[in-house]
Amino acid sequence: MDNNTPSPSPSTPTPTPQSIVNHLATDLKVPPSALRIIENPEADPTIAKRAHYAPPWADVSIIGIAGSSGSGKSTLSQAIVKKLNLPWVVILSIDSFYKSLDEESSRRAFRNEYDFDSPEALDFDVLVERLQDLKAGKRAEIPVYSFEKHARLDRTTAIYSPHVLILEGIFALYDPRVLDLLDMKIFCEADADTCLSRRILRDVRDRGRDVDGIIKQWFNFVKPNFEKFVDPQRKVADIIVPRGVENHVAMTMVTQFIQQKLLEKSKRHRAALTRLESQARHQPLSNKVVLLPQTTQLIGMNTFIHDIDTSKEDFIFYFNRFTTLLIEKAMDNIPFASTTITTPLNLTYAGLKPRGEVSAVVVLRGGAALEAGLKRVLPDCKTGRVLIQSNLRTGEPELHYLALPPDIANHEAVLLLDAQMSSGGSALMAVQVLVDHGVKMERIVLATYSAGKMGLHRLTTVFPEVTVVVGNVIQDVEERWVEKRYFRC
Amino acid sequence: MSNASEIAPTKCVGPDYRAEEQKPTATVSTAVDLPNVTVLSQTPQLIALLSIIRDKGTDRGDFIFYSNRIIRLLVEEGLNHLPTIEHPVTTPVGRVYDGLAFQGKICGVSIMRAGEAMEQGLRDCCRSVRIGKILIQRDEETAQPKLFYDKLPEDIADRWVLLLDPMFATGGSAIMAVEVLKSRGVPEERIIFLNILASPEGISNFASKFPKLRTVTAFIDQGLDDKNYIIPGLGDFGDRYYSM
Repeated sequence: MDNNTPSPSPSTPTPTPQSIVNHLATDLKVPPSALRIIENPEADPTIAKRAHYAPPWADVSIIGIAGSSGSGKSTLSQAIVKKLNLPWVVILSIDSFYKSLDEESSRRAFRNEYDFDSPEALDFDVLVERLQDLKAGKRAEIPVYSFEKHARLDRTTAIYSPHVLILEGIFALYDPRVLDLLDMKIFCEADADTCLSRRILRDVRDRGRDVDGIIKQWFNFVKPNFEKFVDPQRKVADIIVPRGVENHVAMTMVTQFIQQKLLEKSKRHRAALTRLESQARHQPLSNKVVLLPQTTQLIGMNTFIHDIDTSKEDFIFYFNRFTTLLIEKAMDNIPFASTTITTPLNLTYAGLKPRGEVSAVVVLRGGAALEAGLKRVLPDCKTGRVLIQSNLRTGEPELHYLALPPDIANHEAVLLLDAQMSSGGSALMAVQVLVDHGVKMERIVLATYSAGKMGLHRLTTVFPEVTVVVGNVIQDVEERWVEKRYFRC
Repeated sequence: MSNASEIAPTKCVGPDYRAEEQKPTATVSTAVDLPNVTVLSQTPQLIALLSIIRDKGTDRGDFIFYSNRIIRLLVEEGLNHLPTIEHPVTTPVGRVYDGLAFQGKICGVSIMRAGEAMEQGLRDCCRSVRIGKILIQRDEETAQPKLFYDKLPEDIADRWVLLLDPMFATGGSAIMAVEVLKSRGVPEERIIFLNILASPEGISNFASKFPKLRTVTAFIDQGLDDKNYIIPGLGDFGDRYYSM
């Protein structure tokens, strides 16, 4: 359950509760006595009971693949990823963590006299930090290194929510802090002449180098470093793979290991969802669940929407009308601030205005059915999209695609839209995605056409700060029929 | 009349789950104790919409967009007053939904010109609704409202009427419009008056004059000035919507 916290590196002393309080007190500019240590949070009556949701990416499995330059590490990694063909198995190359060079080193690099094949050239501190972030389920910004410029570029690429991460590079099994985070350690082996010829081909093709320089580098740096630093890594490896991708037995072993890990994660995720279910069953709904007032007009619209004999035109018309009210209701739950305005009669009125920007995130596909309503209320609102699909076989929600406004963490409110919420699995995942991207929980307003009691309980026990605005509360888990009717397929 | 403390009070507004100190303060509608007047729930969102259309700095595009949002809420609330019968239906997943169906026919009647600005909001909720129009102007000689023009559905006596006028100051035109409707055979209890901003004295007078007619308004303001303008008001609705 709690293994999403990274194991502390051996070099860091374990912080005591008091030292944490002291740090926090300094940060908050209050005396340490103002803060209280709660020994047993579960038993403390001042802490509301909060259930824990661990998304399947919370405890990413990391596979390290090391080996000499040209030994086929990246080909092997790519072959594994291709074979699994799942968006949540990703490769992280250790090359991204080359240190930016100062002027002198940069000059040497351009003369092929800088030692890129020594562990010194890599920024292991940043690598460990990023791996720990990923292990904790957070989004990690990965530096982009330019081999042409011998420098880190300003931009970064983000890795978020992999279930399995393949860390590939000559020193993937070098740093003890990295080794602690690895679930499987692979060492790739190849003849030195194979390595050299592969390296020449690659560096000429991909990295804009000339053959003389490559050979000079090989004998000055690559070979001695291999003997000194790279080769000893085989001692910590779990398996040693000769002949790279051509080694079908090894490929199958690694792929099966990953599949096993994925299966375990999926099982754990589903079990955690079931556990939340049984915890929540008999509790009353949280006061942060806001049900649209069930007026005759609302029930009248619902009658058209629910009736299987309603024409497609009427269905879409009444659904859009309903969701407009739903979004208006959601907007009642965003933060407002007082403002004094002057009317055309030059009199003042003590009114309100939204405290800041409001954006939306649509949980695809169902949430897209609420966009017509959204656009009637907030025509120009920034809209992120998250594709979460339930696995047909296991019912487990899976995150397939993600595109969020870059400044989403600064928005005063984020409306999260979905057409239906039954067991709450995809809603939990969608909220988790927002939280992982820095959105504060109390700023999230989930709006959904209908929700099952179970799903509402699950969501509000895990994320009690989130407001949920619902059109209809239903007893049971129901299949997603609304989006089928709205999109007519 | 209501005593001063009840007129347009300033209060904390926000959802129930929020503590009072977390709710910002704003001036909310004057409360009226009239069974046939419904004031829209004074949510922070409604207050924010009203703040925009009251602001003299708001341009015409925004004025139109934000008043339409309020009008849609008024129409949705107004339609709640129509009679219904039980109408259970079967859903696509085979469940029975205990639904409701509306009884009777409706039409809209707008008091020109500002009332016509509310027609779009009505059509957003009732696609092919019939809409009649009434033009009432102040007579230059008598200073009394005078009926200049009307065009109403022929079968209006059989319909529920949603009477549209965004501003209600002294209510001269609205009273005359109701009298026109009654003269065409529409019973008072089948008229629902939809209004954005009203004066407390005007709306009380109107509600007691027509006790069976129902009024739905977004906000009852502080009162009227010596020129009979609603204060603090929002200016001339028709001018701001159509021409300013």
